[in-house]
Amino acid sequence: MADFGASKINHDSHLLLDQPLLRLPYELLRKNFRSAHVAYLKDSKYVTNLVKETAGGSINGKVKPQDVVKNLDLMLAKMRGLKRKIETYSEEENRLYRQSNARVSHLRELSSIHTVDDVKYEQWSRNRLDRLVVDYMLRHGYIESASALAKERDMSDLVDIDTFVNMSRIRQSLLNGSVNEALAWCNENKKELRALQSNLDFMLRTQQYIEMMRTTSTSKMLEAVEHAKKYITPFNDTYPLEVQNIAGLLAFTPDTTIEPYVSLYSPARWQMLADIFTEAHLKLLSLPNIPLLHVALSSGLSALKTPACHSHQQNQTDNHNTSSLTTSVCPICSTELNALARNVPYAHHSKSHLLEHDLVLLPNGRVYGRSRLDEYAAKSGLPAGQVKDLVTGELFSAEKLRKVFIT
Amino acid sequence: MASEKPKLESLQRDFDEISKLPRLSAAAENVDKIIELLSAAREQVAGALDTHTASSTMIKLQNPVKTAFESIENDLKKASTSHKKMGKALNESFPLKPLPMDHDAMADHVPLINRAIAMHLLREGQFSVASTFLNEVQGQTRREASVDLDDTMDEDGHEHVNPTVSASFSPSDKYNLSESRDLHNHFSEMYRILQHLKAEDLDPAISWAARNSKHLETRGSNLEFELSKLKYVWLFKGPCGPDEKSLHSALAYGRKTFNRFGARHSAEIDKLLGAMVFAHNLPASPYAKTFVTESAFTDIASSFTREFCSLLGLSAESPLYLAATAGSLALPQLMKYTQKTRSKGTEWTTANELAFETPLPESMLYHSIFVCPVSKEQTTDSNPPMMIPCGHVLAKETLTRLCKGTRFKCPYCPSEGLLKDARQIIL
Repeated sequence: MADFGASKINHDSHLLLDQPLLRLPYELLRKNFRSAHVAYLKDSKYVTNLVKETAGGSINGKVKPQDVVKNLDLMLAKMRGLKRKIETYSEEENRLYRQSNARVSHLRELSSIHTVDDVKYEQWSRNRLDRLVVDYMLRHGYIESASALAKERDMSDLVDIDTFVNMSRIRQSLLNGSVNEALAWCNENKKELRALQSNLDFMLRTQQYIEMMRTTSTSKMLEAVEHAKKYITPFNDTYPLEVQNIAGLLAFTPDTTIEPYVSLYSPARWQMLADIFTEAHLKLLSLPNIPLLHVALSSGLSALKTPACHSHQQNQTDNHNTSSLTTSVCPICSTELNALARNVPYAHHSKSHLLEHDLVLLPNGRVYGRSRLDEYAAKSGLPAGQVKDLVTGELFSAEKLRKVFIT
Repeated sequence: MASEKPKLESLQRDFDEISKLPRLSAAAENVDKIIELLSAAREQVAGALDTHTASSTMIKLQNPVKTAFESIENDLKKASTSHKKMGKALNESFPLKPLPMDHDAMADHVPLINRAIAMHLLREGQFSVASTFLNEVQGQTRREASVDLDDTMDEDGHEHVNPTVSASFSPSDKYNLSESRDLHNHFSEMYRILQHLKAEDLDPAISWAARNSKHLETRGSNLEFELSKLKYVWLFKGPCGPDEKSLHSALAYGRKTFNRFGARHSAEIDKLLGAMVFAHNLPASPYAKTFVTESAFTDIASSFTREFCSLLGLSAESPLYLAATAGSLALPQLMKYTQKTRSKGTEWTTANELAFETPLPESMLYHSIFVCPVSKEQTTDSNPPMMIPCGHVLAKETLTRLCKGTRFKCPYCPSEGLLKDARQIIL
């Protein structure tokens, strides 16, 4: 039974899908700050040390005045560089603050809406769908479509195109067989990745090693051994078995048929690397690892679905024949979602819910509300005492109708 | 529930406060200070170029540089404190609740979701975004297909590069494309007609309705008549109230058009033409109501949209919109359930029916639901509702269980019946 309370909006739980909207700019603010801080530490240390050295050197005469000037020039260059960097980080920070504020006010609009029947809710919920669709497009790499939709709907502050463009770029470079972009990203986020216990760095280093082995040239293979000593053996304690397999790879050429070496040489590893990268990237930014639209759809399709939506009886009759007096076409029955909803469970109901109450049975087994049948008969210009099936169009005498009792 | 409302508001308040707190820009100013110190020192040393000036300048430089760096550090600390405050505000007013991510039922159906999105965009009139999207989807599918062919030689149980899967998708994508071209044409026609309706031009809608007259009639839709009626009223009232000219054209239109609606709508046609007599004093006449057109154009636009979509077998409101909205309404129930089952160690397996209720507002119910009053199960194709002779309805399985031989007693009234007299019904 439709619950009267069901149209009430619970503000606390209604924004589950909107959590990343505020979490992401916050994570990006922190990440931006960390980068600024690292840049500052590096440059300030350099300048502090050089001031000290130059001062010391000039007192005991080891550094000539000309060299003092030279050092001061070096320091100036560093500080000008630092200033540019901080300015860039500061601009990004301002942008993120602006974005966060825009997002909070957007979410806040919901607090003045109390039921889903409010016209303002429809507007709000449409906007949310637009956000979910953009998120979906970005995650599947349909970047142009996402940008076009965001522009069309004027919601650039509410979507995260740049973040996903960046992610897509690195992901694509992995799929194209290059680890460099991903390694650079790993380097930028070393500490955080370690905290997540991500194996991405290890996997990338392993891939580099595998690619060197693949060449089967002796010099490259020697280089591979050096590479392994430097980058792979430190992981010996964490991934002992993998490191052992990697060492074993030396004995096998790319055309081997023996596992696990076949898998190590397999190009499918690139897809796996891309997936590991994506997962780590999303986790680092507190983003869910599946598109929000998937979450919304799997719960929404089930909530709307009824056994009738894929029933043979109901689908025998073409939609075109459905009378306009029958209720509007159900979203699950509509072409857009019908196949998609085929495999989700239907909603659970513990009580009957009938769209009409004065039910009567037609001789063909179909049940309708009496008033609707009468209305349709009148609209179809039928003589008194006759009714017409709203779906099949069959004509019956009203005397043949039987009352139906639903308990 | 009222206690939850202020959360979003306090979040907004906190964010307003936080955006006034110190940011990184302060640090940039203090870097300037260091640059000034260094430049001044450089000038001094370069100007004199003697050892004494150099060493004394450098010694004097040490402390101010140190202080300046300390203030930058301070600035950075403050900027970071602002971020921490934001994190705290988020945790307080918008605490992170992990979404159910263990099982993504939609992951295998990307082509179907793409199709739903494309249809949604077309329906919303976003024709250019829709075509960008279809192109991008096509491009990616083609790329993936070619990658798969390269990979077939070392397939080893890796699911993601399965050539058979993507091969079976490509034809459906082609089908999608021609289907979406059709849809594109349909919806651009719909938008063209709606545009005209907005400008109070009924003719394109009328000719569409005339072309689909038969379908509309089988649906029992009055749209065609309603459009003609509005056209008559619109002509009747004329650009500046009813006058001789406007009445004349309305009459001519009525004579030409209403004839074919005679059988079904004679009463209303009588009214429309009868109004001619009262043309000069319409508001006081019994016909006043028929001639109020304020919302008539928006009303007819929405019934036009409904009929247009229904003739295409589509729901009048975007299904994707409805599903996403229903999804956000049902999600809390799903989360509650997954939490409970996880703590008990039982996982929710994909059965036919959800294991928990997901109440939706009345406006989102499209089918009658019949739950057998005895077994409490929803009826399905394999367990359909049966009406027994006394008019009560039970699920088929319930009825079989109630039967003693071929007879049963109704659980709701004193009457008895024979199994053969029970009838399967379609609700």
